[in-house]
Amino acid sequence: MMLDFQRYQIAFTAHIRNPTAHKKPAKVPDARMAVYREIVFNNIFGSVSACFPVCKSILGVRNWRKLVRQFFSTHQAESPIFREIPQQFLDFLKTTKNFPAYLKQLAHYEWIELVISTQQTEVLKLIKNPDLLNEKPVLAPAHMLLEYDYAVHKISKRYQPKPKEKTYLLVFRNAENIVKFIELNPMTFELLRLISENNMAGKQALERIAEAINHPDANTMIKFGAEILADLANQGAIVGSMK
Amino acid sequence: MSTLADIKGTGLGLKRELIPQIQALYQNPLIENINFLEIAPENWIGAGGKAAVELAWFVERFPMVCHGLCLSLGGPDPLNVEFLKQVKQFLSTNKIPLYTEHLSFCSDIQHGKAGYLYDLLPIPFTEEAVHYVAKRIRKTQDILGQRIAVENASFYVAAPISSMDELTFIKAVLDEADCDLHLDINNIYVNSVNFGFDAHAFLCGIPGERIVYSHVAGHLQVKPDLLVDTHGENIIGPVWALLDKAYQLFGAFPTLLERDLNIPTLPELIPEIDKIAAHQARHSLQQPKVA
Repeated sequence: MMLDFQRYQIAFTAHIRNPTAHKKPAKVPDARMAVYREIVFNNIFGSVSACFPVCKSILGVRNWRKLVRQFFSTHQAESPIFREIPQQFLDFLKTTKNFPAYLKQLAHYEWIELVISTQQTEVLKLIKNPDLLNEKPVLAPAHMLLEYDYAVHKISKRYQPKPKEKTYLLVFRNAENIVKFIELNPMTFELLRLISENNMAGKQALERIAEAINHPDANTMIKFGAEILADLANQGAIVGSMK
Repeated sequence: MSTLADIKGTGLGLKRELIPQIQALYQNPLIENINFLEIAPENWIGAGGKAAVELAWFVERFPMVCHGLCLSLGGPDPLNVEFLKQVKQFLSTNKIPLYTEHLSFCSDIQHGKAGYLYDLLPIPFTEEAVHYVAKRIRKTQDILGQRIAVENASFYVAAPISSMDELTFIKAVLDEADCDLHLDINNIYVNSVNFGFDAHAFLCGIPGERIVYSHVAGHLQVKPDLLVDTHGENIIGPVWALLDKAYQLFGAFPTLLERDLNIPTLPELIPEIDKIAAHQARHSLQQPKVA
């Protein structure tokens, strides 16, 4: 059962969340209530905006503010952790109509940078002289393979793709704790997927791909793949290998 | 590793902007009055990468305190026990001896669902609220297995349903919960202007024996009778006078400078920390007056 002071609290926050739909509690001075209307929304607006600068620039400040206000007034954020506010916003976007699909994917792409930059990882025991073909290549501890229907990494206020364009990305945090994105071709994406999800050695994964696409010469494929893996190791995306 | 006894002298709220500056001036006499640092668990729990490296660096070198923002001790939704368990783990992993929170709420229930607003909102001062908040503080202390301190919050709207004044409310909650007090000197001043009461008389009524440490900060004057607790300006004269009076009444308890907005460079912040230390030095020579 709700207590009297709690009924007041809920009327108080309902008004802060959506002042046009909910009147302020009775006998509360409007000038003072305005302080809460501003600081609470501005705080959330700042947290959300910091994570989605490209989405914000495409929508323009006015529409962006409207969207964040809609989030604040309709979505009950579940996490007390500040870093997770953008994730709550993303959950809200999934349920929002009239928000173009490419912008939803762009928002996800912008959010992933925050996720990877702050993801907790464990220290790995790696082999000193990695053999990326005969052992399982190990990707940077904080990484993700991403598949989008649009070229999210190219979207800006000036470039807003109408046609779909299948896009594969590897995002990872390097040894200096900096987040990097690498665009992948479909074959490299599949290679890394087999390695990281199916725990395959480099050569095993390349043979599997050659077989799947009926490649006439698996050895050419392996040679080509070895170069790709070495290049990814050079960029810090692959940190070593494991038996 | 630090214990409660290490939380002494003067401290500073650890903001991201200040991290590289404190690291660069570590063990430099310029920052010798930064004896302890304060962080919000909501910013650091579960963070890996650069943040984890930085946290490890500070935990090894400074006594640290956790000052929470989102526990919502006065909130209408159930106490977030899962979150409290994370806080407990965080305190233990990082050997942080003290966790304090606010006498406020930051979450609600709408459409039957709990949700956070991520800001400090005023609890109406009623009998029911005293019992409710005290019960949640006790539950918090049970889960953590340690005492917490609660901070007197700043606010802008007085609930028309309140049946007692703020000081009566604070004292009743502290007594019933049997917890400590995190005294915010600036908040006393801000509220005294916003609601027209005598800050010095308020201070005299504070149960000094419960103080673990205090906060001082600057605020923004929006109107002559409306101050907003931004932590974005320098500390003003009347707040210094109030701090001095508090030391006179209760002895020179540990005090931390909060600066969350318009953050200047560290060398520009240091004079305020040094000034706190100078006030403390003056009062540590004399016995506190027992109020």
